[in-house]
Amino acid sequence: MELQLGLALPNHNNPSAGNGVGFKSRKDAANKRSFQEAFGNYKIRDELQMMPLLLWSGPPDEEDDDRKGQKKRNSCNNINKNEEEGEELVVGWPPIQSWRKKSLLHGQHPQQGQVGRRVSKFVKVKMEGVGIARKINLSLYNSFETLANSLIHMFATYQKSEKRGVRYTLTYQDKEGDWLIAGDVPWQTFIESVQRLEILRCGAVESRP
Amino acid sequence: MESESKRKKESPNTAELAVTASFPDEVLEIVLSLLTSHRDRSSVSLVCKDWYRAERWSRTQVFIGNCYSVSPEILTRRFPNIRSVTLKGKPRFSDFNLVPPNWGADIHAWLVAFAVKYPFLEELRLKRMAVSDESLEFLASNFPNFKLLSLLSCDGFSTDGLAAIATHCKNLTELDIQENGIEDSSGSWLSCFPESFTSLEVLNFANLTSEVNTDALERLVSRCKSLKVLKVNKSISLEQLQRLLVRAPQLEELGTGSFLQDLTARPYADLESAFNNCKNIHTLSGLWEAVPLYLPALYNSCANLTFLNLSYTALQSGEFAKLVVHCPRLRRLWVLDTVEDKGLEAVGSNCPLLEELRVFPADPFDEEIIHGVTEEGFVAVSFGCRRLHYVLYFCRQMTNAAVATIVQNCPNFTHFRLCIMTPGLPDYLTNEPMDEAFGAVVKTCSKLQRLSVSGLLTDLTFEYIGKYAKNLETLSVAFAGRSDRGMQCVLEGCPKLRKLEIRDCPFGNEALLSGLEKYESMRSLWMSACNVTMNACRRLAKQMPRLNVEVMKEDGSDDSQADKVYIYRTVAGPRRDAPPSVLTL
Repeated sequence: MELQLGLALPNHNNPSAGNGVGFKSRKDAANKRSFQEAFGNYKIRDELQMMPLLLWSGPPDEEDDDRKGQKKRNSCNNINKNEEEGEELVVGWPPIQSWRKKSLLHGQHPQQGQVGRRVSKFVKVKMEGVGIARKINLSLYNSFETLANSLIHMFATYQKSEKRGVRYTLTYQDKEGDWLIAGDVPWQTFIESVQRLEILRCGAVESRP
Repeated sequence: MESESKRKKESPNTAELAVTASFPDEVLEIVLSLLTSHRDRSSVSLVCKDWYRAERWSRTQVFIGNCYSVSPEILTRRFPNIRSVTLKGKPRFSDFNLVPPNWGADIHAWLVAFAVKYPFLEELRLKRMAVSDESLEFLASNFPNFKLLSLLSCDGFSTDGLAAIATHCKNLTELDIQENGIEDSSGSWLSCFPESFTSLEVLNFANLTSEVNTDALERLVSRCKSLKVLKVNKSISLEQLQRLLVRAPQLEELGTGSFLQDLTARPYADLESAFNNCKNIHTLSGLWEAVPLYLPALYNSCANLTFLNLSYTALQSGEFAKLVVHCPRLRRLWVLDTVEDKGLEAVGSNCPLLEELRVFPADPFDEEIIHGVTEEGFVAVSFGCRRLHYVLYFCRQMTNAAVATIVQNCPNFTHFRLCIMTPGLPDYLTNEPMDEAFGAVVKTCSKLQRLSVSGLLTDLTFEYIGKYAKNLETLSVAFAGRSDRGMQCVLEGCPKLRKLEIRDCPFGNEALLSGLEKYESMRSLWMSACNVTMNACRRLAKQMPRLNVEVMKEDGSDDSQADKVYIYRTVAGPRRDAPPSVLTL
C-alpha cells in the first residue's frame, strides 16, 4: 500500500525509484543544480502537481518496522541526519534552534536518571483503524489502569463512529520485537521493555466472530 | 531630550545658533548622558561637531549589531567611556546549522582591547559569538568592576569558563547563560562562588545539563538577598526547588527544574505553600517534563504571571486549558504545539491581555505524527487577544482566509513569523499560493517590523511587501518566489529594511545587483541556495568597497556558484580571521 504525502512543488526530473525530493541541501554536492532546474517553471492551480515527498513501500526495515510491513523510507539523496537522531529532510528546516532541538530529543529518550527520579519515556501509540498515531510519555503513569484510562481519553475522538460495546486490547512490542498483551508482566518490567503500543479490537486478538 | 535636540536642529535663527555654539560642553554632556536609546544617540551625534564630541564622551553603553561592522580599535577610539557592550556575531541562520563552524565572531580580540581601554567595563552581552574558556578567564581576571555577563546562543566555552567567572568576579550581579552550545562537563562551577559573595541578582543556568551542588546553590540563594531572577536547570528536582523558593520569596522570575517527581502529599503541600509565598513572581519557565498532577501547585502563582514559558513541556490541550484559566494577566506565552487548537482556544478565552504568542513544534521532523496546531488555533487566539502584536507560529497547514481574519482582529502586529513547516505548501483549502495571506498582513499591519514568510509563494507576495511594508526592518524568506523580480520588489520598496535573509529561493544575480545602493543602508544580507554566481559577487564587492562580501563554499560544489553569500556594511574593511571555507571578495 502506498501512501503519498504531497508537496506542491513538482520535480521535473523524472523521479527515479523512490527519489521524490527536489530540495537542495548541504550534501547535495553531486546533484547540484540551479533552483530553476530543480523546480522548473510551474503553473499553479490546475497544473499543480502533488509530488511525493516520502514513499511508503518496500521491505521492512530493521529499525522501524511495524506489523503491517510498511516501512518509512526516506528515499531522496538529500537526507542530512541530525547528529542527535532527529531526522531533517532539509538542512536547517524547519528553523528551530539547535539547543531547542536537543532539549526536545532529550525529553524523548530514556536517560540515566537518579534513584527516585523518573525520566521521560515517550512511545508511539497506534489504534487499529486509525491512520494517525500518538505519542505518550509512559513515565507519567504508575499502573496499567492509569495508562489505559489516559489512552481511552486520548483516542475517544476516534471512536465516535464505532458501535457501542466494542472492546479493545492494549498490546505492546517489547525489546525483542515480539508483540504481547499488556498486563501480563508487572508494571516495572513492562516499562523497561516496551517499545511501542497498539490498541487492537478484541476480535482481532481472540479471533472471535 | 529628544525634542530639545530636534528644536536646536531646526532653528534657523543665527542668534540662537550662537547660543548653542557657546553652550558649555560639560552641561551638554550631562544632558546627553540622559539619552539612552541608541538611535537617539546616533541622531544626536550627527547634529554638529560639538554634539558629536559631547555624545561620544557621554556614551556609556554601546550596541553593535554586527561585530564585523566595526573594529575594537575604531570603537575604543570613538567612545572612551564605555561601561556596557552588546555584541552580536554570526548571521542568524547559524542557529540552524547553515553557517560553517569556526566562522568567526570571536570575542577575544575585543576583550583584549577592552582590557586596555575600558578597564572599568561592567556589562557584556553577547549573542552568537564564539567565546572560549580562555576568554572567560581573561574577562574574569581583567575587569574588577565587572557585573553582568549575558551569553545567548554563543559557543566554544565550557563550564570551566563559568567557574572562572564565579571565582573572580566579586561584583557580579548577573550571570545569564542561555541557549548556548557549550560543553557541560560538570556543575562544579556553581560551587566556585565564594561564601563572601552576595551581590547576585540574576542567575540563569537553565540550559546547562549537568548537576550542580544543590547545597552550594541553596547557600548561594540564601545569602544573595537581592536575587530577583533564578532559572535552574533540569537537574534540580521539585523538592530541591521547594527549598530554594523558601529561601528566596522575593523572586520575580523563576525557571523551575524538572517538574517530574514522585511527591507524596506532604512535600506537595510544601511546594504549593512555597509557591504561594513567592508573591512577586511574574515570569515562569522551565517546567521540564511537567506532570499535570503537580501543576495545581502553581495555580495561585499564575494569577500574577505576565510571562509563561511552557516551551519545554509537552502538555496536552486539557491540562493546558486547566492551567491557563488561572493566568488572566498573561502578556507573553510560549508553548509547544502539543496543546493543539483546543489549548489555543483556551488562551483566547482566558488571556485578553496577551501580546506575544510563540508556538513551537514538539515533533518537527516526524512525518508520521501529524497533530499540533492549525490555522484554527491561531484564529481563536486572534479573536480573544486583540492586543496581540508578536507571533511565532509553527504549523502544518494554513489558509489565506484565516490569516486575513487574524490580522483583521489584530492589526497591530509588529512581528509576524509564520512557519508552515512543509516547504512550499499552498492554502490547503483552495490550493492557491499563500500570497494573499501575507498581502493581508502587510496591508493591514502598518507597524510591521519583522516578517517571516512560508508556504507556497509567488513573486506577488514580494510585490505586496515592497508596496506596503514601509516599516519593515527584518525579512526572512525560504523556499519562496518565482523570479528575480520578487527580491527586487523588496529591495526597492522597503525603506527601513535592515536585515534580509533568504534561503532556497530562485533569486539570482539580477536581484542581487539591483540592491547595490541599498545594502549600505542595511545591516546585512544573507542568501543561500539561491541562484547567485561568484562573478556577480565579485562585481558587487568591486563596486561597493564599504561592503564586505563573503561567500561560504561547500565541498564539491560548482566553482561558479556562490552557495552561501553574506553581505554586510562595515567601516572596518574586510576581516582577517575568516576560515578557509569563507572567501572574502
